[in-house]
Amino acid sequence: MTDKQDSILALIQSLLERSDKGDVVVTVDSPLHGDEGLALDSLETAELSALLEDEYGTDPFGAGLMPETVADIVAFYSGEGESVPA
Amino acid sequence: MSNSPRTVVITGGSRGLGAGIVQSFLDSGDRVASCSRSATDQVRLWEKEHGDRFLFVEADIADRTQSTAFAKAVIERWGSVDVLVNNAGVARDGILALFSDEDTDTVIDLNLKATIHLSRQIVRNMLAHDGGRIVNISSITGLTGYRGLTVYGATKAAIDGFTRALAREVGSRKITVNSIASGYLRTEMSHGLDDGQLNQIVRRTPAGRLGEPDDIARAVQFLVDERNDWITGQVLVIDGGLTC
Repeated sequence: MTDKQDSILALIQSLLERSDKGDVVVTVDSPLHGDEGLALDSLETAELSALLEDEYGTDPFGAGLMPETVADIVAFYSGEGESVPA
Repeated sequence: MSNSPRTVVITGGSRGLGAGIVQSFLDSGDRVASCSRSATDQVRLWEKEHGDRFLFVEADIADRTQSTAFAKAVIERWGSVDVLVNNAGVARDGILALFSDEDTDTVIDLNLKATIHLSRQIVRNMLAHDGGRIVNISSITGLTGYRGLTVYGATKAAIDGFTRALAREVGSRKITVNSIASGYLRTEMSHGLDDGQLNQIVRRTPAGRLGEPDDIARAVQFLVDERNDWITGQVLVIDGGLTC
């Protein structure tokens, strides 16, 4: 697990805690949406986008991508985001 | 109440109402960032007297590239934004049947589209930093209509609708969004009115005078007070009673 991946997981965990979802466990395979995953709603997704941009200067949503899982976000910052479907 | 300085962004702060709002927040000890298409003597004086907590960027925020550069400059300097006052606006008066498409675009691009664009950028920062306050400077012409200000009034009515919708979107994230529907002020914006029109407005105003920028600035300060977190999605009319 890379430092960047750890950092992204911690950032998402902090977002969930702010949204009173602190009991949800974030893994790299977690889907961002739906009850089987982190169940982010549209505002929480916007918050995630803003937090990622604030932390790293860019974010996959702002780049026009639509990540479906935490792994998609990690991949974006690993320079692999081009493969994430828009 | 916290005494720590806030970071306040005020668009169109080089003259008129915007300058009055900038002065108010400098007086209350806050960090102020503002922009307009060109600096004025007042801006240069603020830069000299408050350089450590006053940032001015020459920018036409109707141009999205310049608007983005302004927002980035503020965030690079101070990290987060606590208060956004969307004040920049332009009025073009004229009967609609004779109104040009160019003037229509100018008014809508600045009053509405630029406000939406800058708000989007700052809201993202507020979402990442646990809240904030947004005040949109609207106008009573968006509530009552005024002959010769159809497009201007339309943009201000739209801003009030934008205020209400955004307030619903971000209310759960400690961000309040309100409009101030300003009446007629003694600023450059009222210079398009002749003496007869201004006298008529004064006669019909219960308070018996035109407004001053500070009349509006005090209302802005009230709405952005951190204690006022239960006022959101509202249009506060400040017009000396003209529309009551």
